Amino acid sequence: MSETPDLDQLDLEGLRAEVRAFLAADAPSGWREASATQEDFVRTQRDWFGKLVKAGYAIPHWPAAFPGGGRSLSEQKVIYEELARADCPRLLLSFVSTYHAFATLHECGSAEQQARYLPRILEGETWCQGFSEPGAGSDLAAIKTRAERKGDVYVVNGQKVWSTMAQFADKCLLLVRTSSDGPKQAGITYLLMDMKMPGVSVRPIHQIQGDEEFAEIFLDNVEIPVSERVGEEGKGWAVAQATLASERGLTLMELSYRMRGALSRVARLIRDHSHEDDRGILRDFGALVTQVDAVCALADQFLDNRINGIERMGDASIVKNAYSRALRAYSLLGLRLGGIEEQYIAPITFGDLNTGNWMADYMNSFAWTIAGGSEEVQRNIIAERMLDMPREPKGWVA
Amino acid sequence: MIELNELTDAAQKAFPADKLSPERDESWNLAAEMGWLMVRLPEDDGGLGLGREASTALHLEMGRILAAMPLIPAQLGLQAVAASESFEDRTEWLERLSSGDYAPLNMLPARLVQNPDGTVSGTISGVFEADMAVAVVVRLPNGYALVPLDAQGVSRVERPIWDPGRRIFDVVLESYSPASSLMLTDADTASSLHDLLSAEAQIALAADCLGGANAVLDMTVEYMKMRRQFDRPIAMFQALKHRAADMKTRIVLAEALLRSRVRDEHASVTDLASAKSLAVEAYRFVTEESIQLHGGIGLTEEHQCHLFMKRAMLNAQLCGSTDLWNERRGRTAFAQLS
Ligand SMILES: Cc1cc2nc3c(=O)[nH]c(=O)nc-3n(C[C@H](O)[C@H](O)[C@H](O)COP(=O)(O)OP(=O)(O)OC[C@H]3O[C@@H](n4cnc5c(N)ncnc54)[C@H](O)[C@@H]3O)c2cc1C
Repeated sequence: MSETPDLDQLDLEGLRAEVRAFLAADAPSGWREASATQEDFVRTQRDWFGKLVKAGYAIPHWPAAFPGGGRSLSEQKVIYEELARADCPRLLLSFVSTYHAFATLHECGSAEQQARYLPRILEGETWCQGFSEPGAGSDLAAIKTRAERKGDVYVVNGQKVWSTMAQFADKCLLLVRTSSDGPKQAGITYLLMDMKMPGVSVRPIHQIQGDEEFAEIFLDNVEIPVSERVGEEGKGWAVAQATLASERGLTLMELSYRMRGALSRVARLIRDHSHEDDRGILRDFGALVTQVDAVCALADQFLDNRINGIERMGDASIVKNAYSRALRAYSLLGLRLGGIEEQYIAPITFGDLNTGNWMADYMNSFAWTIAGGSEEVQRNIIAERMLDMPREPKGWVA
Repeated sequence: MIELNELTDAAQKAFPADKLSPERDESWNLAAEMGWLMVRLPEDDGGLGLGREASTALHLEMGRILAAMPLIPAQLGLQAVAASESFEDRTEWLERLSSGDYAPLNMLPARLVQNPDGTVSGTISGVFEADMAVAVVVRLPNGYALVPLDAQGVSRVERPIWDPGRRIFDVVLESYSPASSLMLTDADTASSLHDLLSAEAQIALAADCLGGANAVLDMTVEYMKMRRQFDRPIAMFQALKHRAADMKTRIVLAEALLRSRVRDEHASVTDLASAKSLAVEAYRFVTEESIQLHGGIGLTEEHQCHLFMKRAMLNAQLCGSTDLWNERRGRTAFAQLS
């Protein structure tokens, strides 16, 4: 416990004022309309990321050696809250770079890889994650994309799918199979791939809410230098865990605090539709606020435990399921209160939980019950690892 | 922090988890001896002077074993006396109540009228374990008061309830003349005392719910690992495993909110009540699932499932319903956000 809570509080309020002042001057307005085409979307995202990097708010979770890094958790929360309050776009395009790629390189990359890539991320280099394959989703260790070592390069052939923002990415966190001996988890190797390499082609996938946020990646004799390997050959599964852990930790804290900030959108609907005195609606809103507050408290607790080294198996799965269910409840209440307006197709929906159109947000909420390990897979983890319930019998081979 | 662990350890030793609903009077004496009635009483008043986290830790343990003794209303009654500055016999009563005399706060709103002669008539409902009480702390029309149960015009009627671990009474006042020496507040300051006690009550109840919910989940998972159908433990069926995972998620979520609110000195009554609402809902959900997952045996009196369900549904009726608090939370959040 802090001995000078009041001073801490003052610092935080100081930071809040600083962020607010920055946002008052520089927060993008009209970004939804201004990202009406994909090119515009990419431009507004890059623009906003650049501004945030410069102001020191883009990577508060990185170490202090980087400009804008080294923020305490409480400081990070203040930043996320203010960004949400000012209705700023979420950094969808640089999300994999600043979380997944950062965590992977920081924890498992060589000094040389870190020195080469981390500064480039701040300059706007965009990364995507090439883990999933058509035959390997929930069963990620079943990947089949092959890499054969030939001298100083790996020659890679195969196909990736559901890779968020791959069509705009410069680099890819790629899982490949270098051996089929032993258990599925063995023989997986982790590579950093340049998306401009010969043999890489990308085909965007059209989503239910009209966007093309993710894409397929086809790999045809792509030659990736051995120096781009993270960790040892055949030991990529452990590296992949570092990538995935970042998704279930800090990311969820940012998202939870953003959802809390975005509750004002629901409040606005209540006002705009004159529901201020509707007890049923206030009740449902109150229940939602409590649910979102609880998710924020849970994300805090999760990170505290992780920092103090007392994280338990399954904790991350609980946070993810609690968050994704709250997100569904949030977008559903908005959709319910928004009326017919929300059924009209909005011109652009990039922006994650906060697009400006509730139907789009509702459809997008399924991203969080599926991506990064589906809700069902998280339930298996909670039941088997945390509650020590027996696994399904094996013996069924397709 | 060490104090909290000590409190939890002591509670687990005194009330082992394998014995549910330990006998009331014996438990009460034990709790009084260990000083639990005075957990929240300031040291200057002879109490232990512990914070809200201590109270939470204790009630979690008591919820886990479905404690039959009325620790929560006793703690609240004592705090009401402690919070009253005008009360003449404050010191004497604090001593009596700390050492085991029982004066509960009544847990439901009373229906009382003040007669033209200044006496009070009506019914104080929801007085827990009034058979062992010397007095009840109640909000009369002219402020909070201690009403001795042996006073003229005071009688008690037991109202048998479903939860076999609790006894509830109506205390009936017939032209009862409140002694001015037993007034804890006047009418004006009654509301601030109410808010203080309500905040404590929300925390205690939330903790009781989550202790119970954890116990039910443990019990249910154990049963699922042991019970076999179709040549395997039912715990192996994914449809059932997923329900267990959802129970765990709801409990952990509600615990996280409770702990963060308990630590927050600025938390309002509504903030604390929201944590209780989430806890009560989790408790209800878990007990419902538990009965279902136990199959036929879950519907028998012999098995323990129903005891937790009865406690969950009783707790849900105390200190304001989930509907009421959700609406208040909605109103305050709307005012802040719009
Ligand atoms: C918006 C979005 C973004 C994504 N971004 C990326 C990305 O950037 N990079 C990347 O590599 N991947 C990405 N993914 C892929 C994501 O990780 C997978 O979609 C996810 O792991 C599920 O795999 P699947 O789609 O193959 O579904 P499947 O595994 O086929 O699952 C189908 C259904 O079966 C259930 N199921 C499967 N196995 C089990 C089991 N053992 N027990 C119970 N139920 C089970 C699932 O829960 C689901 O309901 C993204 C997905 C989405 C939706």
